[in-house]
Amino acid sequence: MESLKEDAIHHTAMKLAEELKNLSIYKSFYSDVQKLVSSPNVKKEDFKHTLQQAMKEKGLDTKLRNTVFHWVRSQNKQNKLDPLTSLSKASAQWEKRIHKSLNSMCSDLETSLAKVRSQSEQEDLSNKWNELSTYNLDLTKYRPVYAPKDFLEVLLTLSGYVPFTKEGEPKWEFAHLPLQVKNLDQLRKIYVEWTNGEPLLGVNPNMPSAVSGFSTIEAERIGLGERVTALGYAPVIQEYLKKGSPQCLRAKLWAQVLGADVGAQQTAYFNRLKKSVLEVDLMIDKLIFKDVQLTASNDDQYFVFEDLLYQVMLCFSRDSDVLQNLRGCIGNPLNVTIKGKQTSADSITVFPPSGIIPFHGFTMYATPFCYLYDDPVQLYFIFRAFYIRYWHKLHYISTHPQGIVSLCLLYERLLEANEPLLWIHFRNININPIRVVFKWIMRAFSGHLPPDQLLLLWDTILGYDCLEILPLLALAILSFRKENIFQVNNIQNVDAVLADLSTISVIPLLQLTLMKPQ
Amino acid sequence: MNADTKKLISNQYGRVNAPPIERCRVNFCTDMEKSVLMSNFERRGWNQVGQDDEWNFYWASTQTCRNLFSVESGYRMNDNQIINHFPNHYELSRKDLLVKNIKRYRKELERESSPIAEKAEVVLPGGQVGTRYVHLDFIPVTFVLPADYNMFVEEYRKSPQSTWIMKPCGKSQGTGIFLINKLSKLKKWSREAKAPFHPQLSKESYVISRYIDNPLLIGGKKFDLRLYVLVTSFRHLKAYLFQLGFCRFCTVKYDTSVTELDNMYVHLTNVSVQKHGGDYNNIHGGKMSVENLRLFLEGTRGRAVTEKLFSAIQWLIVHSLKAVSSVMANDRHCFECYGYDIIIDDQLKPWLVEVNASPSLTSTTVNDRIMKYKLIDNMISVVLPPDGIPDVRWNKTPSPEAFGNFDLLIDEELLEKEEMASTGRSFKGHKSRN
Ligand SMILES: Nc1ncnc2c1ncn2[C@@H]1O[C@H](COP(=O)(O)OP(=O)(O)O)[C@@H](O)[C@H]1O
Ligand SMILES: [Mg+2]
Repeated sequence: MESLKEDAIHHTAMKLAEELKNLSIYKSFYSDVQKLVSSPNVKKEDFKHTLQQAMKEKGLDTKLRNTVFHWVRSQNKQNKLDPLTSLSKASAQWEKRIHKSLNSMCSDLETSLAKVRSQSEQEDLSNKWNELSTYNLDLTKYRPVYAPKDFLEVLLTLSGYVPFTKEGEPKWEFAHLPLQVKNLDQLRKIYVEWTNGEPLLGVNPNMPSAVSGFSTIEAERIGLGERVTALGYAPVIQEYLKKGSPQCLRAKLWAQVLGADVGAQQTAYFNRLKKSVLEVDLMIDKLIFKDVQLTASNDDQYFVFEDLLYQVMLCFSRDSDVLQNLRGCIGNPLNVTIKGKQTSADSITVFPPSGIIPFHGFTMYATPFCYLYDDPVQLYFIFRAFYIRYWHKLHYISTHPQGIVSLCLLYERLLEANEPLLWIHFRNININPIRVVFKWIMRAFSGHLPPDQLLLLWDTILGYDCLEILPLLALAILSFRKENIFQVNNIQNVDAVLADLSTISVIPLLQLTLMKPQ
Repeated sequence: MNADTKKLISNQYGRVNAPPIERCRVNFCTDMEKSVLMSNFERRGWNQVGQDDEWNFYWASTQTCRNLFSVESGYRMNDNQIINHFPNHYELSRKDLLVKNIKRYRKELERESSPIAEKAEVVLPGGQVGTRYVHLDFIPVTFVLPADYNMFVEEYRKSPQSTWIMKPCGKSQGTGIFLINKLSKLKKWSREAKAPFHPQLSKESYVISRYIDNPLLIGGKKFDLRLYVLVTSFRHLKAYLFQLGFCRFCTVKYDTSVTELDNMYVHLTNVSVQKHGGDYNNIHGGKMSVENLRLFLEGTRGRAVTEKLFSAIQWLIVHSLKAVSSVMANDRHCFECYGYDIIIDDQLKPWLVEVNASPSLTSTTVNDRIMKYKLIDNMISVVLPPDGIPDVRWNKTPSPEAFGNFDLLIDEELLEKEEMASTGRSFKGHKSRN
């Protein structure tokens, strides 16, 4: 028995070692270890032990552990082939519609999806790289390819793809999709620290600390957080984030838990992305400009970061690593010929290289990071890591338990079970309850909550490594505003009751929802 | 924990109309029918009356207020009347007098050998060594022209590389301001203005200040802070800082090159200037909240430096008020809300630029309106006694529930009491100076 187990561990270790060789950090890591081996600290007689010790001292041990952690997390992707073929069919059709709309926008505007930028255009763009808000573009004719509203319409038709199973089941839109979602009690088991009423950051920073040596909960969290970030061990940081990070440590902790630290390699990579933005004009660039303008530029919380966001979003569209990482999750992007480059060997490009077509508000997935990083490269890699791990799930159709379909379903089930009167009210006034919260969920509340609250919410996403907190928060907000909702009977007025979330304190609201009534 | 949670969430319902406050008969008078004012007065169920009627609460322009207090008017206020300006607020709000008062205050403290007036040597940009106050160096070096012209030239020679900013003493909203990087430019200006530097002859006086050429930039743009400070008494000093101040951003990237020296969209943060620029956005109006500034600084620069900056700002406000407290006519009928203009430099040091006695109550955006509405609302509840009727016999000690979004900056009376209660314990920097 024991030996069997050992065999298995050995096997896994071998597999891991093979995999590590393919990672980008391998080369530098290997040479660091080599250097260490030749240092006097490592003794031939006691090779294994002294090497381990030396690796610990040099921090290579933590680096190795973190690498394994990040690698494992990147592996346990859900079933690559969706079991619900109907959903994949729907998602393929949706993708086709998007592509068609891109193409027709192109022909209407008499432009091409991809073309080489002229020398003068390249220079102009390059000169204005740090203040792209002054880069003159006529965008009046460009429209976002789709908005959350359009995407919701598509999701609402999904039930049509699934054969009706049971008679008598309510005909709520997602309800008869054969997907498993959790109920509130099951969520309580995930967010167990919250459910148990443990003190969290984001409630009252001046609450007395239970730990000796600290006067307030905030001081306690800062003290602990400083130790955790110095240790730099990703799983510990993840654990720490469950109860919220102080703003002053957040930038560091988030980068560490996502393995998104920036070094020379990342800077060089970002510069390559920038170069490809300068060289080739993709129609999507206009959409990106438009989206930043429609969102961040007009928002008093984000307008100061406008120029940073142009850079980050443009570079993101050129990042083929995104496509690599999300293969199987985001459909099949177009291949198009770059106009003006037809004769050369690299005349075909994936459109866009990242595979991601932005929707109205897409920039909001990146804006809150501006409160943590003022360097575009750091901002970029954090945003990218978040996108690859979480955000793409919010705007692609899949059966993933963290995917938008499951999250919507979860929201509906939670509402029905926990706020039955509200549920009935919605039915009576003939509003599908998902409509009033959908944009919150799809944008992970970005642009809806003030940045300090949003960052606390996103701590939780990282800490528990799941998105179920989004529908739960939607439920909690509805539940706390229900008296006002009961008083109105059309969608405009419900929207008005829910329009201003600036007074919401996210953490206490969520914790109250999770804590069992006494 | 539970109690905290419940208290916090009880405050977050949607946009519900605030409950009308119990009606009490306050007669108000105003010569500015600004909507943030009127809606507050209406919500309180107050009754509007004319200047010659029996008013209790007067929201007046500085001019009206001065007239009212002038000897000629012969007006005597009764105990149930309060008004929103101190008669000689200009000691604080006129650019030249503010500087004079602060300079005098520093000298006085120095004479008393107060530790607050400690001095140290610093290396000036030009390489020369000068002395600066360690704790009271919060206004850029400033001279009044034409009176201090020779002193200015002396200072100018110490670092001829510096840029200076010329501001007419009696104007506001950025009018008449220009930058100077050469002495010859100042001479040329004085010739053109046909006002030779003869104190008797020139009509308009100016202040010339060292230009803070290394402001903290966000997104490459210069900004300054507009903070609201409510004073209910100067002796003892009682002052409150409103938490919801904002940053006012320039619309054009900051650029120190000489060619941009005359571009006011780069250098002046006044909304009244920026709104004429082609890049002005009237949805956000170039305004970001101070709370978000703090979030940004804590996130990108860390906590210690952010805390230090904000306490330096409070320090600066308190000492600017102490600098004028001895010369202010401390009329019990008066309170005043000042608009502080503060610039933060790239070392995160705050500089006091000026103090306005009538900060704009015009709302440029939706959020601006909400904020200014709260400002007036909170102000009224701080300056009125608990029963809601103005009464100058009240001890001007509101309960913390009345503060709203105001934080107590200083209450010398309270400090004195505490000091007496615990003799031996000293309150650094808060010593009453009467
Ligand atoms: N010493 C200075 N250094 C840098 N900028 C300054 C300085 N003084 C004023 N400014 C800028 O000019 C603007 C207007 O100056 P201020 O003294 O407030 O005059 P006004 O009464 O016209 O508003 C300020 O808001 C600030 O942006
Ligand atoms: Mg001003």
